[in-house]
This record gives sequence, structure tokens and C-alpha cells, in this order.
Amino acid sequence: VRESDRYRRLIRWYPAKWRERYGEGLAALLEDTYGADPVPLRSRASLARAGMAELARDAGVIGRSTNSNERLRAGSLLVLSGWSFFLVAGAIFAKFSEHWSFATPPAHRTLSSVGDSAVLWAGVAGAILVLAAGVMAIPAFARFVRTEGWVSMRRFAVRDALALGTAAFLTAGLSVWAHRLSSGQRNGGSAAYEILFLLCCLSIVVAIIVVTSSVISITRQLNFSQKTLRFLSIIALGLTLLMTVVVVGTAVWWISEALYAPHFLRNSIGSGILFTSNALPPTLVVAGVLMIVGLFSAVVGSLRVFGAFQNS
Amino acid sequence: MGNGTPAVTDELGRQSEPAFLILTSLASGSKHGYALAKDIEAFSDVVLGPGTLYGAITRLEERGLIAPVPSEDRRQPYLITSTGRAALTSAVRDMRALADEGAARLGLRAPARRRPPRPIVAGFAP
Repeated sequence: VRESDRYRRLIRWYPAKWRERYGEGLAALLEDTYGADPVPLRSRASLARAGMAELARDAGVIGRSTNSNERLRAGSLLVLSGWSFFLVAGAIFAKFSEHWSFATPPAHRTLSSVGDSAVLWAGVAGAILVLAAGVMAIPAFARFVRTEGWVSMRRFAVRDALALGTAAFLTAGLSVWAHRLSSGQRNGGSAAYEILFLLCCLSIVVAIIVVTSSVISITRQLNFSQKTLRFLSIIALGLTLLMTVVVVGTAVWWISEALYAPHFLRNSIGSGILFTSNALPPTLVVAGVLMIVGLFSAVVGSLRVFGAFQNS
Repeated sequence: MGNGTPAVTDELGRQSEPAFLILTSLASGSKHGYALAKDIEAFSDVVLGPGTLYGAITRLEERGLIAPVPSEDRRQPYLITSTGRAALTSAVRDMRALADEGAARLGLRAPARRRPPRPIVAGFAP
């Protein structure tokens, strides 16, 4: 392997546009510094960190060098990324909290009900906002397809179809099988069913990640009018607010159940692995962590949108 | 510190910041990446990682404070622009004022400074 090739591989973290402009100079610096010696871990880490920072800057996520329109777009896409975490977390929460009212004493259902309803309605409102954003993006998408052709979309389309098809196939198979099993077999009695259930969940998570990354990649190439971009950014701010409501609703429901129906939390999916004697069931902890990560992404994106609004 | 210099210092960062170090190094002539890293290490004892160095070069070039020099070699030299020189001058003055203030408050003897020549007024001897 030629030394220069070795050093070019080290700068793979940087965006292609950056590499075109500075790549040779940086590779020459590395070659002059290290020659045939191995590159120390510290320098590799420096390159990886700087490369990812350049990627984020290139996407408009950080830095002041991009114009306000690009910052609006990047901020909104960060919010959308945050929403994809909520799709997974929301599905886990919905499955987990199923039938909670049967396990909770009627006198103590109010708080849980408020939390559960807040999650449900904020989720529905969020889905409507995402749909509205999708509708608003259709004209720009149509223009993009007219100019670039479907060929540019093929890679995304094949990948998305594969991910969605696998998830749909496994879900349909699981559903058909579930109807032939007894309640006991569906709830821990059949190891094969549990494995298929996990595979099904995994395929849904992968499909959400794949489709979201395709939407982000395509949206970055669309030419939105200033007005549309502003509307999309306002939708993103609304979505962040709804994600906050979901987090608060989940917390209220969780605390209420932990206080008044702790056996419901203990006897749910995932118990028996960790924390069996307290109110922290692993499944709900996973959902909570996903929500926090998603909300963090959305808040960072919203701050980016606010900053762009102030500068424009 | 007056004359809006803090904004310039903020832009370049403090004296250990890569942008300030790179401009200081280029103030004595154009250099490529390796020469820059070695020069900075020699005058400041600061070792800049390759990612940090090129990240700072990118930002400085975007802001027009440095510019690439045409080169046939893979090594890309850079020079300081007049805007970069002005920014560095402001930042250095800013730091000198801060250092003088610190020295005065600590009771340290300030280094001898050349006084500006006194105006000579005909018919008047001070």
C-alpha cells in the first residue's frame, strides 16, 4: 500500500467537497509528519473528530459559515431525526403501556390517564405535522425528480423498499402466527415466538432509520423557496414542542404507575432481566433514553432554526 | 480595551488558539502544513493535531484571513492576507494591553518601550 493511499484513507471522515479542496495538503502533512511510521491514536482521533465536525458543518448543523436558509434546513432536519427516535420510543411505550388501566386502581387512574392521553394526542399531532411537511415538500421534490431523474433516487428507493418490505413481511408473519398461539405462548411461553418478535422489532427500527436517512439525504438536495423553508422550520419548532409534551406525558404516566400500580411495571416486558424490584423496567428505560436522545436532537435543531430566524 | 479589539480577539481566540498561532506563524512568511506545525511547536510549545491544524486553516481561509499560494507540490503553502495581518495586529495589541495591565497590577517591571519622538517646536526647549 502506497504511503499516500494510507494517509488518504485516514481522512475519509471528511466530506468529499472538503477533501477535494484540502485533502492533498492534509495527506502531505501526515506523510511529512509520520513517514512510514504508524500514525498515533491521538492523531487518528484528531482527524476523526475534525472530519466529523466538517461533516456537521457541511450539513449546516454547526458553524456560522452557512447561510440562514441552509441553517433553517439543517435545523429542521435535526428535528426530523429527533422525531424518528420518538417513532421507535412511542411504539415501545404503546406496547408497554397496553392495558395499564386494568392494573391501576380506579381512584388513581387520573394522573396516568392524563399522561397517557398527552402522549397519544401529541403523537397524533406530531404525525400530522410530519405529514403536512411532507405535502409541502412535494413541489420541490417533483422539480428535483424532473431535473435529476429517477436514476438519482434509485439507490434510496431500493434500500427503503428492502427495509420496509422486510419489516412488513416479518410483522405480517408474526401477526398470522400470533393468532394461532395461546395467550401464554405469546407472553413468554414460546422461545421461537419471542425470537421472531425481537427480529420484527429490530426490522421496524432498521426501517425507520433507513427511511429517515433517505428523507434527510434527499431533502438536503431539494430547492425550497424561502417561504416554504420558513413554514417547514415553523413545523419543526411545533414538532419539538410536541416531543416535549410526549416526554412530559411519559414521565407523568411512569411516575403515577410507579406510585399506584408498581406491579404493572414489574410484570411487563423486560422484567426479570434488570431492576426487577423497582420501578425501572428495562423496556421503558430504553424508550425513555430514546426519547431523551430524540428531544436533545430536536432542541439543538430548534436552536439552530431560532438562530437562523434571528439572522435573517 | 478599546477600539473594538475584543471582537477581533474573540474571532482569533486567545493566544493558545490555533487560529492565532497560525496567523502568528504566517506573519513571518508563507508556509505549508508541516512547516506551520513545526514552527508553531518551536515558538509556542503547542503541538497542533493534524485535524485541529487543518480545521483552523479551513476557517481562516473562509474568512479571508489567509490565502493559498499556487504550488506545483502536493504541499499547499498559505500566506497571511492584509485582512489577516490587520486582525493579528489588533489581537496582538489587545493582548499586549492585557499583559501590561497584569504586569502593572502585579508590580512587575514593564519591559522598556521605545518612546515616540517628541515634537520639536521651534523656539521652545523642554
